[in-house]
Amino acid sequence: MIQLFHVTKYYDGCLALSDISLRIEKGECVLLTGPSGAGKTTLLKLIFGAEHPDEGQILVQNRNIARLSRSDIPYHRRTMGYVLQDFKLLPQRTVFENVALPLIIRGLSSFESRRKVTEALRAVGMEHKLSTIASVLSAGEQQRVCIARAIVNNPIILLADEPTGNLDPQLTTEIAALFKAINTRGTTVMMATHNQQVVEQLNGRILRLDCGHLLSDQGAYT
Amino acid sequence: MKRVWYFIREAYTSLRTHQASTLIGIVTTAFTLTSFGIFLLLYHNVHNILGRVQHNIQIIVYPKDNLESGKLQDLQQAIKADPTVDSLTFISKQDALTEFKRQFPEEVYLLEGLGESPFPASLVLTMAAKTPTTDMISKLVNRLQQNPDIERVRYNRDWIERLTLLIAYMELGALMVGSILALASVTIIANTVQLAFHTRQQEIEILRLIGATSLFISIPYLIEGAILGAAGGGVALGFLRGGFELFTHKTQGLNVFGGFSSVFEFFPLPLSLLLIAGGILLGCLGTLTTIYSSMRFRL
Repeated sequence: MIQLFHVTKYYDGCLALSDISLRIEKGECVLLTGPSGAGKTTLLKLIFGAEHPDEGQILVQNRNIARLSRSDIPYHRRTMGYVLQDFKLLPQRTVFENVALPLIIRGLSSFESRRKVTEALRAVGMEHKLSTIASVLSAGEQQRVCIARAIVNNPIILLADEPTGNLDPQLTTEIAALFKAINTRGTTVMMATHNQQVVEQLNGRILRLDCGHLLSDQGAYT
Repeated sequence: MKRVWYFIREAYTSLRTHQASTLIGIVTTAFTLTSFGIFLLLYHNVHNILGRVQHNIQIIVYPKDNLESGKLQDLQQAIKADPTVDSLTFISKQDALTEFKRQFPEEVYLLEGLGESPFPASLVLTMAAKTPTTDMISKLVNRLQQNPDIERVRYNRDWIERLTLLIAYMELGALMVGSILALASVTIIANTVQLAFHTRQQEIEILRLIGATSLFISIPYLIEGAILGAAGGGVALGFLRGGFELFTHKTQGLNVFGGFSSVFEFFPLPLSLLLIAGGILLGCLGTLTTIYSSMRFRL
């Protein structure tokens, strides 16, 4: 599903990732842990196509991301979902409009969009807030809407960068449970987090990073 | 269809949300296009007048003296057959004498005792082209001069050359001033769209996050730029029409060229539509400038 071969990335000459090689299989739940600046976000960005590796190759579904042209990157992104810590919702739009956006980009019909949006919102328990403006939602609700937007296209891979960073322990548990449920349905989940509670709850493969180096790769949390 | 609706709604939302910058954009575009329009209106009218003058340029052909009437007929037919010739008028020796007497009644005594008309017969022709160039005239004159039945051909070469040069300079000036004003319009619209672009950075980032192509992100801005340009063009057209009416009304009493209103005309409909289309084009160009500089290095 995802393969990295000796990937190295620098930002203005500073090392962000150093010689990372790994293989992630379909349906795995991978947790990237480590302190701030360890390279977790960079690794996600490289897989998402938001950054290019300076050295090495990245294969996602047998497609070399490092060789993708600028015009191919949006199509690559449509095969995956991305959830961020700071939600990234359009504040003046309704929940429905926010979740439907990836479907509009793909040019789906109104009927099909409505069906998929309702389905995604039901999966995150937000179907009753369909017409609510995003800015009036609580933090937990906003993150749920973001997850709904990320899964509305039925992505093969779901990337998440500190999705519980802005949430209290109760909401963190709820959001982690959502990711667990999504992973159980067969979606590969790759999450950057330094929240021990989430790591324990998801009980996935743990990749520990520090200063751009992969320190350990544990099959499951023990 | 859903996407088209999305693009229009996004453009409309942006224009509505940023009302102040939209208004500034429309007004500045309108002023720029008005300046361009004033220049274009002047150019259009002066070009029209010069074109009319140029079209009426006459070439006078003098056939050989005492040419048989049959040969004269043949000559007239040969000249008429030339595709570059529009009209041909034969002026006989007698007609020339009558005309002289009509124009200069006090000088008639000069002709006393000369017997028959001392003036040569002539053929006066005009050219078919709306604005014949010096080159076209020279070629026709050369062809005529090669005819053995023609004594000489006369036309005001210097004057025609000067007129052609004047028109060429005017066109060059129009191109230069037009380019400068168009560039100003593009810059102004680019700034307006850039403002909208900056205030919507987060939205653009979200769109990129969910796999929107640069084209998908750009289309609402292009529509926005086109609307700004069209509105600016429409307002400019209104300013120009109002200004033109005021000008012709105020100058009605002046006896120049038989009154300005009879000489000057406002843009015909196609040219008016072209001004609005120009506004749309400038709007789109302004947007593209912004989009290109904003998206160039981003993944």
